Amino acid sequence: MTNTIWTPELLSPAGSLEKLKVAVLYGADAVYLGGQKFGLRQASDNFTAEELKEGVEFAHERGSLVYVVLNSFLHDKDLEELPEFLALLSELKVDAVIVSDLGVITEIQKHSNLVIHLSTQASCLNVESAKLWKKMGVTRIVLGREVTIKEAKKIKEETGLEIEMFVHGSMCMAFSGNCVISNYTQGRDSNRGGCAHSCRFEYSIDFNQDEEAKKAFFMSSKDLEGIRMLTEFIEAGIDSLKVEGRNKSHYYAGTVSKVYAEALRYYKTHGNFLSDDLIRWEEELRKISHRDYTTGSLDEYADESSIYNQRESDEIEYTVSGVVLEVKENEHILMEVRSAFYPGDELEIMPFKGRIINHKIATIKTIAGIEIPKSKPGSVVKVPYMAGAERFNLIRKKAEVRV
Amino acid sequence: MKFITYAENKIQLEKLASLVSAGKVNRDDLEVIVGTRTLSRYSEMGLEELLELVTLNQSLKLPLVLEWDVLQQENLFLKNKETISRLPLHEFKAIRVQDPGALNTIVETYPWLKVQLILENGNHNFQGLSRWSSFLGAQLDRLVLSNELSREHLSRYAGELSSGLEVLAFGRILLFYSPRLLLSPLKKEEIQKSLQDKNIEAFGTSEESPHAGFPLIENAHGTFMFNVKDLYLLDHLEELKALNIAAVRFDLRFDESFNHLETMLDLYYGRVSHADINIKNAHPRPMIKGFYNINKTDVLFTKLKNKRIQRQDDNYIGEIVDVERDQQMALVVKSKHLKLNLGQEVQLVTPEGKVKNVNINTIIDTSRLEKQSAATNEIVLLPFLSGVVAKTQVYLVQ
Repeated sequence: MTNTIWTPELLSPAGSLEKLKVAVLYGADAVYLGGQKFGLRQASDNFTAEELKEGVEFAHERGSLVYVVLNSFLHDKDLEELPEFLALLSELKVDAVIVSDLGVITEIQKHSNLVIHLSTQASCLNVESAKLWKKMGVTRIVLGREVTIKEAKKIKEETGLEIEMFVHGSMCMAFSGNCVISNYTQGRDSNRGGCAHSCRFEYSIDFNQDEEAKKAFFMSSKDLEGIRMLTEFIEAGIDSLKVEGRNKSHYYAGTVSKVYAEALRYYKTHGNFLSDDLIRWEEELRKISHRDYTTGSLDEYADESSIYNQRESDEIEYTVSGVVLEVKENEHILMEVRSAFYPGDELEIMPFKGRIINHKIATIKTIAGIEIPKSKPGSVVKVPYMAGAERFNLIRKKAEVRV
Repeated sequence: MKFITYAENKIQLEKLASLVSAGKVNRDDLEVIVGTRTLSRYSEMGLEELLELVTLNQSLKLPLVLEWDVLQQENLFLKNKETISRLPLHEFKAIRVQDPGALNTIVETYPWLKVQLILENGNHNFQGLSRWSSFLGAQLDRLVLSNELSREHLSRYAGELSSGLEVLAFGRILLFYSPRLLLSPLKKEEIQKSLQDKNIEAFGTSEESPHAGFPLIENAHGTFMFNVKDLYLLDHLEELKALNIAAVRFDLRFDESFNHLETMLDLYYGRVSHADINIKNAHPRPMIKGFYNINKTDVLFTKLKNKRIQRQDDNYIGEIVDVERDQQMALVVKSKHLKLNLGQEVQLVTPEGKVKNVNINTIIDTSRLEKQSAATNEIVLLPFLSGVVAKTQVYLVQ
C-alpha cells in the first residue's frame, strides 16, 4: 500500500515552547499556541516573542504548522496593542491565527495578510453561520463541539471552508464563549483568559420542592475522546483534528499527539483502523490524567451520559517521571524530574515513534554524580544511559502507592 | 430612547395596549418582543399562540419584534428556518437574532426585514460593532449590546456609530448557556416523564463560590444559569438617554415583575425619580449595576502567573533547572543566539524576584569537564550561589 491516502491534520496544544517541541516531535502536524496576550489561557506559560520565533522555526523545520490564538473577546484597549503583535506574527510567518471576535478579524485584515481561522469560541454551529463568517474573510472554521461529524461534513460541502473539529480533551459544557460565570463571580473575564472553571464545582441543586437539595457536578462534562471516530472524520473530509489542552502537561501533549499521530499514520498506510493497535492506543489515552471519556456530540448530540458527575481526582494509572534533557550515548541521561522514582524502578521511555521501551533504573545520581536514594521532583538527575532515549522523550512509570 | 419589553401571552400584550390607551406610554416609544418555544430561549408560547397574538395585535397595533435568539446545530437550525418561512414576517417591525446563521438567513432570504442584532456575547470593541453595522447597512435596525460594556464605552459607541444601540436596563443576567439537559438527570424517572415539554427551575449553590442560589432553568433548548443578582440600571435612564442610547430593555419574564411595568414607565418618562420607586425591595433577588460603571475583569490576570519565571528576550541566556546546595547549579542554555562564556557577568532573577549578579569563572559540563563556553541546549554546571533556586532566569549583563 502506498502513502497516498488522505488523512486530516493533527493539531496539538502547545502551552509553552517545551510543550510545542514535545507535541511536534511526537507527531503533531500543527500546533496552536498563545502569546502573552489576546488568548484564552492567561494562566498558561504562553510564548514571549523570542520563544514564538524559536517555536515557529522548530515547527517549520520539522514540517509542522503553527497557529496562534487571538481568540479573546477583546476590549478597545486590548485592540490598541494588537497591530504590533500582528506585525510580529507576519514577520515570523505563522501559518494562521485563530480568532473569535469580528473586531479582531477586522484589525487583522487591516494590518496583515494573516490567514484567519474562526475559533470555536464563536460557536459556529450551522451552514448559514459558516457562510456568514466566510463573508467576513475566515478560511477555516473550528466548529462548536456541539456539532456532529455528519453536520460538519455538510457545512464543509456547502461552504467550501476548511473544517476543524475537536477530537480529544476537556470540553466546556456551555456553548463555548457563552459562559461568563467567572466574570461575575470571580471578577475574571472568562472570554479574555480568566476562566475559573466554575462549571467543575459541585453544586447543591434546590428544586424548591419537598425534596432535599441534590449535590451534583451537574455542569461538568466528561472529556472528549474521538479515537474510535477517526474513520468518520476522514470520510467526512474534516481538515483538522484538534486536541484541547494548552494548560496541560508535557506528558498529555506528548501522549495524545503520539497516539493520534500513530493512528492516522496507520490509516494512511492501510486505509483503515482494523488493528489491534486500536486497543493499545485507547490504553495509552487512559494512561494520562483525564475525566471519564465520551464521544460528546461527534455522533449524536451529547446527552446526560456526557455529564461527569464526580469530583476531580488524581487517580491515574501512570505518572510522568520526567523529560529527557540530555543524552550522552553509552554514558548517561539527564532527566528533569516530574515525579519521584527510585533505583530499581521500571521506567518506560515513550519514543517519538514506535512502541514503549522499558528500562530498569539501576542508579540515580545528582547532576554532579553523587548517588541518591530517590529522585526529587523539580530537580535534574543523572541515570544510566538507556538505549532508544532521545532529547524531549517523556519517561513514565506505572503509578503505585509507596508506604 | 425606546422602551423595550417582552410579551409572553395575550394578557400581557393587552396590558401593554391598555397602558398605551391610558397615556402611560406613547405607542412610538414602545416595542414588544415576542417569540415561540422553538425560536426563543425562554418563550413558552407555541406557534399557534404566537399567530393568535399577531392576529390580536392587528387591532392593538403595537410594534412587535420577533425573537430568534437560540443557538442551534445544523439539523435543529434547519427546523427553525422552516418555522421562520411559515411566519407572517410582515407583521413584525423587525427580527432579533443572535446566531450568525440566523442573521445570514435573514440577510439572504428576507432583505426587506429589519434586523436587531443581538451582540450580548462578546463584541466588546468599536471595530467589531462598526463592522457588524456596516455589514448590515440599511437592514440594521439596532445593535443589542453586551451588558459587560461600561458607561464609558456605551458613550463612545453611541457617539460614533450610526446605528441605534440597545442595552438591558432591568432583568436577569445570563451566565451560562448549554444545549445539554443538565437538571432533568437529577430528577426521578417518573418525574422526568411528566416534565416533558415543561421547564425545570432550580437554584444552584456551590461551596466554592461566595454566591448562593444561582437561578437555573432547563427547557427544550438546554440549561441556563443566571447570576444571583439581576441587572438594575433604572437609576441611569436619564443618563442613557443623554448618551444617545436608542433603546433600553426591561426583561420582566421571570418573576411577577410585570406588575412593576407602570412604575418603570413612570421612571422612564421621569414622572417619578429613583427615590420614589420601591422596585428593588419588591424584587425577589438582589440587584446590581454589573459592569455599567467600570469593567475591570482583566486586572487579576497579572496574578494568574509568576512573570518573574518568564523569560524576557533581551540578553536571555537560559534557566537554572537544578540547584545543589553548597555545590553547584545546573543551567540550561536556551538562547539560540547568545552563548555563555567564561569571564562574562550574568544576572540571575529568582522566582521570588531576587536579583543577583555574578561573574562566570567556571563552566563544567555534565561529564565534569571544564568548558570555555556553553551554547544552545547545553546543560552546564555553575558554582552554587545562595538564594538561587530552580526556575531562576539567567541574563547576560552587557
